[in-house]
Amino acid sequence: MANYTFKGGIHIPNPYPVERPEIKQAPLPEQAVLLLQQRVGGEAKPCVEIGERVLTGQIIAQTTGSLPTNVHASISGVISAIEKRPIPHPSGIDAMCIVIDSDGKDEWANIKRCDKDFLNCSAEEVTQQIREAGIVGMGGAGFPTHAKITNAEGAHTLIVNATECEPGIMCDDSLMQEYPREIVRGIEVLMHACGAKKAIIAIEDDKPEALNSLLMYNFNDRISVEQIPTKYTSGAEKLLIKTLLGVEIPPGAYASEHGILCQNVGTVKAIYDAVIDSKPLISRVVTVTGSAVKSPRNYEARLGTSFATVVKYSEPNDQEHHIRMGGMMMGVDIPNPDYSICKITNCIFVNNKESKPVVKECIRCSSCATVCPANLLPQQLYWHAKSENIKKALDYHLMDCIECGCCNYVCPSNIPLAEYFTFAKALDRKLKFEEQKTDQSRERFEFREYRLERNKKERAEMMAAKKKALKEKMAKDKEKNQEQEDKIAQAMARVKKSKEDNA
Amino acid sequence: MIESVVIFSALTLILGLILGYAAIRFKVEGNPLVDQIDSILPQTQCGQCDYPGCRPYAEALAKGEAQINQCPPGGQEGADALAELLDVETLELNAEHGETKPDHVVYVDEKLCIGCTLCIQACPVDAFVGSSKVMTTVIAKECTGCDLCIPVCPVDCIYTNELKPTLGTYVPDLKELARG
Repeated sequence: MANYTFKGGIHIPNPYPVERPEIKQAPLPEQAVLLLQQRVGGEAKPCVEIGERVLTGQIIAQTTGSLPTNVHASISGVISAIEKRPIPHPSGIDAMCIVIDSDGKDEWANIKRCDKDFLNCSAEEVTQQIREAGIVGMGGAGFPTHAKITNAEGAHTLIVNATECEPGIMCDDSLMQEYPREIVRGIEVLMHACGAKKAIIAIEDDKPEALNSLLMYNFNDRISVEQIPTKYTSGAEKLLIKTLLGVEIPPGAYASEHGILCQNVGTVKAIYDAVIDSKPLISRVVTVTGSAVKSPRNYEARLGTSFATVVKYSEPNDQEHHIRMGGMMMGVDIPNPDYSICKITNCIFVNNKESKPVVKECIRCSSCATVCPANLLPQQLYWHAKSENIKKALDYHLMDCIECGCCNYVCPSNIPLAEYFTFAKALDRKLKFEEQKTDQSRERFEFREYRLERNKKERAEMMAAKKKALKEKMAKDKEKNQEQEDKIAQAMARVKKSKEDNA
Repeated sequence: MIESVVIFSALTLILGLILGYAAIRFKVEGNPLVDQIDSILPQTQCGQCDYPGCRPYAEALAKGEAQINQCPPGGQEGADALAELLDVETLELNAEHGETKPDHVVYVDEKLCIGCTLCIQACPVDAFVGSSKVMTTVIAKECTGCDLCIPVCPVDCIYTNELKPTLGTYVPDLKELARG
């Protein structure tokens, strides 16, 4: 059991518990819609064309930016479209996607295997394999894993985040029960890649089966399994580090600066698949749960499978549904099930449609401050966010908010506090960008004015110089002419004189 | 009696010297109010205010020669901010100076461009790249959306492109939040 804890947080039991979280293989989708823009990093550029036949595992889009993530075909078939499609994001903005129509064969591309055991590969080679496989943080943040490993070079401790603290989600729980051997092996790969001397798997104490199955397969004495108390937001990286090691990472700093690398357990399984089995990230485990489904269950689905396809197998009722991607606390509400599973889709909530609770005024009860795991004063931040006073909100450490939603959960007035903070952060980003742009425009305008003035002056100077040169030349010419005339006059005089002498 | 006269004359002299030095050393170049106004203006440099740029408009405002409602790109919010700074009653945006358009940049249809360079000369922030008789293009990052290049183009090959929010620039709607 961990020795430390953190202030705040809330305990919510799984609202839709199941006897044993199993993983069901979802059938191959007829069509896969693959998102090119990951949550972090730039948009990948397609390297295939419409009408081209692709094989499962083939790279279909790549990025060259600072945080590149490859996108692989998740099924074999023909590319039917490369276009903007709605994506699971609160904005409802469309983003570029590649659509593959399945040929039903699931024919795999010939993926280059590493012929050496990973222990004989250098850390860079292993990281490169992880990068090629297009792996991102599978817990929901979606940060490119290879970049995180590179940043944490020389780390002493690897923390495997298996807390799965958001109530309702059970994909990691089932993963640990079904693939404990692969997870332990994946941790060994990751330790080799980042050079960590020890690894800690952190599991909340409401998952004893997962703990037992890992303990049964863990023969590596550098890997320990730790149980931590079940409390929501224990899975937030900085809080998890504090719970396990008692180390507090200050705001603005990263865990990597303290020699700690945190990875989600799902990511570790993906790393196992990539490095040991040479399989890129083309599928993931998704939990389908909620008040409207009869059998909450986990599905291993190919990326790009539509939500509706997997939801169908959990027997939803006929009523109108309210669908949410991600956990009940930090997830995103989406209007309909015509969205597709992407690399960060860990859970799909299908709830019966209920009218939203009425938002009332803040009564300053400060329940939110009690539960805030980031030690903030949400009730104060709320006023400043609401009045768009970003400077003041920043003074109240807006940027330390992890948007966990604990404050929303306890608010007796049903105020969506976390959404207000998301708004304030976005507004701050926008204002900073605009300020940068106006400064740049001002500078360029002033430089242009200066340039025009300078050109005018230079032109005037050039003209003056030309005039002066011309004048001098004319004076010189005049002198020369004078000389000539003088010579002629002298000659004339000489002629005249000799004529007179002769006469 | 003589002593006090000497003391006070000396004091006057010393203080006078200090004041004189301070006046030179800490001299404020230009009008600081102009800078404050200029920092509120959107720096579109479109000239719709009838002044040849944002800074000249700021100077006119500081002198009291212009009204605060002459800047369409700044919108009503800009006029309100100016009113607050100058401590005057806010005015509704003057429609004579044009209407507030959504954020946009221009782009050149490069197939039609004849390389006349008129747009390059019209651009107040040098956002065009091109030369005589070669194709011209816009550096979108530097375009302010002032639209000054559009009327000068002889072949009408400059179009506007509205800046839609992207995943990186999206800001949620505050009113929606209040509704719950």
